[in-house]
Amino acid sequence: MNAPERPESFERREPELPNALPRPAGEFEALKRAWKSPRGLSFITDVNNTYVGIWYVGTAFLFFILAGILALIMRAQLAVPESDLVGHDLYNQLFTMHGTVMMFLFAVPAVEAASVYLLPNMQAARDLPFPRLSAYAFWAYFVGGLVFFGTIFFGLAPNGGWFMYPPLTGTKYSPADNADWWLLGIGFIEISAIAGAIEIIVGVMKTRAVGMSLDKLPVYSWAMLVFAVMIVIGFPAIILGTLLLEMERAFDWPFFIAERGGDPLLWQHLFWFFGHPEVYIIFLPATGMVSMIVPAMAQTPLVGYRLIVLALIATGFLSFGLWVHHMFATGLPKMSLSFFSAASTAVAVPSGIQVFAWIATIASGRMKLTTPSLFVIGFLLIFTLGGLTGVMVAMAPFDWQAHDTYFVVAHLHYVLIGGMVFPLFAAFYYWIPVASKHALSERLGRWVFGLMFLGVNVTFLPMHITGLIGMPRRVYTYPVDMGWDALNLVSTIGSFMIALGVAIFIYDLARKFRFASEDNAGNVWNAGTLEWLPNGQYATRSIPAVVSREPLWDQPNLSKDVEEGRYYLPGTATGGREALVTSPFDARPQYILQIPGAGWQPLLAAVFTAAFFLLLTVKLVLPSVVCGVIAIGCVIWWLWETDPGPTRPPADIGGGIVVPVYVTGPMNHSWWAMIVLMVVSGMVFTCMIFSYLFLWLVNPSAWPAQGFVPPHWVWPATAAALYVASAILIDRASGNLRGEDRRSPRSVPVLIGIALLLVSAASAADLAAQWRAGLSPSAHAYGAAVYALVSYQIFFVLTTLLMGLYTIARWLTGKLDSVRRTTFDNTMLFWYYTVGQGLVGIVVVHGFPRLTGGV
Amino acid sequence: MLSCALALANCSGVQSALDPAGGDALRIYWLAVIMTVGATLIFFAVTGLLLYAIFAPPERRAWLGGRNTIVYGGLAFPIVVLSMLLPYGLIVMRDTDVRMPGALPIEVVGEQYWWRVRYPGEDERPAFSTANEIVIPVGRPIAVSVTAADVIHSFWIPNFGGKIDMIPGRVNSLNFTAERPGIYRGVCAEFCGDQHARMAFDVVALEPSAFEAWRTNQAKPAPEPDLPQLVRGRELFRTGGCGSCHVVRGTEANGLFGPDLTHVGSRRTIGAGQFPNNVGTLAGWIANTQHIKPGVRMPSYGSFTGEDLRALAGYLESLK
Amino acid sequence: MAAVRTGQVLLMLAGLIAWAVQFSLIYGATSTLCGREWADATLLGLGIVPASILTVTLAALAVTAAAFAWSLKGYRSAETRPVSAADRFMVQSAALVNGFSLIVILWQGIPAFILPACA
Repeated sequence: MNAPERPESFERREPELPNALPRPAGEFEALKRAWKSPRGLSFITDVNNTYVGIWYVGTAFLFFILAGILALIMRAQLAVPESDLVGHDLYNQLFTMHGTVMMFLFAVPAVEAASVYLLPNMQAARDLPFPRLSAYAFWAYFVGGLVFFGTIFFGLAPNGGWFMYPPLTGTKYSPADNADWWLLGIGFIEISAIAGAIEIIVGVMKTRAVGMSLDKLPVYSWAMLVFAVMIVIGFPAIILGTLLLEMERAFDWPFFIAERGGDPLLWQHLFWFFGHPEVYIIFLPATGMVSMIVPAMAQTPLVGYRLIVLALIATGFLSFGLWVHHMFATGLPKMSLSFFSAASTAVAVPSGIQVFAWIATIASGRMKLTTPSLFVIGFLLIFTLGGLTGVMVAMAPFDWQAHDTYFVVAHLHYVLIGGMVFPLFAAFYYWIPVASKHALSERLGRWVFGLMFLGVNVTFLPMHITGLIGMPRRVYTYPVDMGWDALNLVSTIGSFMIALGVAIFIYDLARKFRFASEDNAGNVWNAGTLEWLPNGQYATRSIPAVVSREPLWDQPNLSKDVEEGRYYLPGTATGGREALVTSPFDARPQYILQIPGAGWQPLLAAVFTAAFFLLLTVKLVLPSVVCGVIAIGCVIWWLWETDPGPTRPPADIGGGIVVPVYVTGPMNHSWWAMIVLMVVSGMVFTCMIFSYLFLWLVNPSAWPAQGFVPPHWVWPATAAALYVASAILIDRASGNLRGEDRRSPRSVPVLIGIALLLVSAASAADLAAQWRAGLSPSAHAYGAAVYALVSYQIFFVLTTLLMGLYTIARWLTGKLDSVRRTTFDNTMLFWYYTVGQGLVGIVVVHGFPRLTGGV
Repeated sequence: MLSCALALANCSGVQSALDPAGGDALRIYWLAVIMTVGATLIFFAVTGLLLYAIFAPPERRAWLGGRNTIVYGGLAFPIVVLSMLLPYGLIVMRDTDVRMPGALPIEVVGEQYWWRVRYPGEDERPAFSTANEIVIPVGRPIAVSVTAADVIHSFWIPNFGGKIDMIPGRVNSLNFTAERPGIYRGVCAEFCGDQHARMAFDVVALEPSAFEAWRTNQAKPAPEPDLPQLVRGRELFRTGGCGSCHVVRGTEANGLFGPDLTHVGSRRTIGAGQFPNNVGTLAGWIANTQHIKPGVRMPSYGSFTGEDLRALAGYLESLK
Repeated sequence: MAAVRTGQVLLMLAGLIAWAVQFSLIYGATSTLCGREWADATLLGLGIVPASILTVTLAALAVTAAAFAWSLKGYRSAETRPVSAADRFMVQSAALVNGFSLIVILWQGIPAFILPACA
């Protein structure tokens, strides 16, 4: 199985089958029992990706419809000039909510949801590596999203645009709660997205079919991997931005208030550093889907696999160099703007690579014009047009005319509807046979496609002109006699055509979609990838070994053999739910991952997390804090069941391969998750340092303000020493916790306890230093920036405290020893990160002003 | 222009980027035309290749089904085209919005939801303020400095060039030259709150001599009312407290909160480009401000009698 | 094994990482030099802003060209030696990514020749 392959071609011989027939009695029943869903209402506590994925996709689609209805109302208002169908206040809420809901509650969740369902299936993994985390992410999104949308019925919806620029969204010009709903409401969406990203990175890299080395990874998996890494790097900027704006609104810390040393442009940098990658975050999974659908429709393998991987990775990187193209009109130096013009031009090339790869694939096969094919064709045409107008606005002088006009509205809808919605509909028609008893209707599908394709062009093509002849964005009405009347009316008619197409789709969905796993409609397209294997609640009966990118085409008996249990891990080694963890590059089996089953903890934790944010929005602080504490309690209850240790000796999964059921260290999936989490935290911290430096640049003579005497260097030195000391103790404890003999020395909790005291003292010293020096966070942006860094560190120290105490509790209850030490490892990693972050923060806060001569 | 005609729209207009009236707008217009033509050709080429890939007989389309398609179509072609477009775009950027020596300085402050305009003094010509209207000489470079008093706005005159954001705490600048006399319209192009949709201004490009005449007149204090009704109007302006927000130079009215009304009668529109300027609309504005443009900082003064309102509006209309 | 894999990943991403560093440095330098009004200084006879951009761009090109050459060498030898599919894939992808990055880094430096430093 692990023999090196000959260079000229993929091995296409049938490998030796790992497990012989007949299978032992009860093996299959045990597998089914482990994966069985709870009955009755408790059904919602299941965490199986098959269910969570469907609920997640359904909820995202619901938000698509809701946000679409908002758009229809907007278009109705704009059909004629000087209309008073909708007043300005409602209209401003409508366009803000349309954008916010589409971007945050539909687009990113939809592609993440699709991957929750699809990714494990496509890699023949039984589930995602952290199913309860997905469930938590889903329920937080479900509750929070619906409440957030509900604000429009109370006139409380945010009304400052989906991009929420201060000072308009500061307390002075938006005193009511509307802006807070956005800031705190988006908070849990961010949590869901990060949780999903962690899941996907670990899932793509570590839970694959045996032999599915990187060169055989489905393009969809590559796309989701890049997607997840982009979320990890890009979302922290918006997390920080929303935190800072909320602190400005709630506590008057003037990050964005020019009169007190702040700068409205800081928000724009943070928002768009996230905002631009966000659209590629939305687009890349769609291209991944198209790369799976096109080969199936053309019945031929994808042409240009490595070029497509190049395109995905290049897009992922380059998209982070574009953000200022949303700020071309802000008066920054032309040289600075030009760097973003160059990068925005460069990013068009990888998209071109993908488009031509699909054309080449279609040309080399025999494309059947099914509904998925039609939507793919629609995607190619609409997205290409949108991409071309994108190159146009990449030229800054042209953008100086087109920015904030309907030209950009046209461009963004062409790329988003063309580049994401059309692939999503293609994906619905294509993959519903995996999840449903019946496929959707091909006949009605043509109507859906036709109406949507025509509707999109009728709505948005005229807007290119409308914008260039002067109509700005975000206007609730427009004057007569500007020459815009006919164009707007045509656009409105088009929008209702799209609505009709979507309505027909919903009708067909209601008629045909019946959830199924075992008795699904089957491989109706004769596709070649693993998600089309026979499935049950347990995913596949056994985990296959693959030798190519289209296993179902190249291994004709694969379905039968998998179903009979002839491949790896045909049952359950521990009696519970399991997944097989494989190595990241060659996909060799490494160990068995014990997966948790259904439980109330993630659901309750999610509901209380959402409640924490939502109550805080309406300033009900005490109930909010109570919910937050309960949420933490639920998380601890959830975590308590994890880290089971080696519940049995290493198990035989077939083919002579014996793997452990528990590992620790860098091979462990939760180690990987902690590393990803540290990168996320590190990015938030990096954005904070950037904000600090940016505000310095804006305040050349007042950093800090004249007359402020910074703390004596003894304070930061002491804090740094305490941080380092605590890390040394943790390292000591780690050393003491080694050995095959499952030892559990008392020194471990003692060392952790002392380290907790040291790290808390360090943070307290950090805070006390500034407090005693008399620094105020609200007088000037300098104080705000310093206290932001200090409070962020305090949050991490408190989390470290919690983790340390939890680890001690594990020791006290006998659940921690030198073999069963994943909990300790996670705490240790987080500790090192917290100490590192603390040290960097100290250097910046105490060292930078001294460096620049401000003191 | 072809697609414009197809779109049944009038490309020429008082607020159109497709009807350039100045050098910068013309440069950008040609960039736009070239890119549009190029984009259209590429779009049809890609569409053609796609349809060919689907519908042509398999033997005839085999050449399209290999990796070379991607290398030539997806890498080489875009790289060549973009290597030409990028420098061209950067050169247009270099040559647009350039501060010229001897430019006429104008200062504009964006407010919710109107434009505070100031012409600084130049040589012997004194400084003066106005609002919601910019008058410029044809053929002379203009250097507009902008900022904002409250939230972010954006200053855009499509016929003359691109836009520039007005950001509180920052002074940005926009440079352009009018090449053609006429009346144009500028708008706010950054969402600034409730009445962002109703924040426009008039731009009048005059021959240089006409401009000098306008400027001289604007610098003078307000004309004295010469009819009894207008005198009555001025008295109502005083007793109504209008002077606490508005300046009328030559009277005691000196409030800086709202627009300068010294020569309000000379402006083409009122309400920040929203209504033609006449006694009727002025009266309507004063009496029903919050009904016409809800959310502006001026309250409605609905308690004037009809006759008083006419006198007051008449007085303002006489301030030419 | 982990070290080999890390090396392969770094080689594959070298060009794009070089671009990211180039981008951050030239944008940061331009913003700071223009923001602090230190742009009048000169370096090697050129204004400091274009000089910085050119220096950083050349450095990024050099690093990427080296990575490209290395991965091309690996690409050729992978065609003749027996290597695992994953290894072959990594080195071939590296060649593609690094080759593409050369063009992007070049484009990224073009503004230095066209635009004024801080206008």
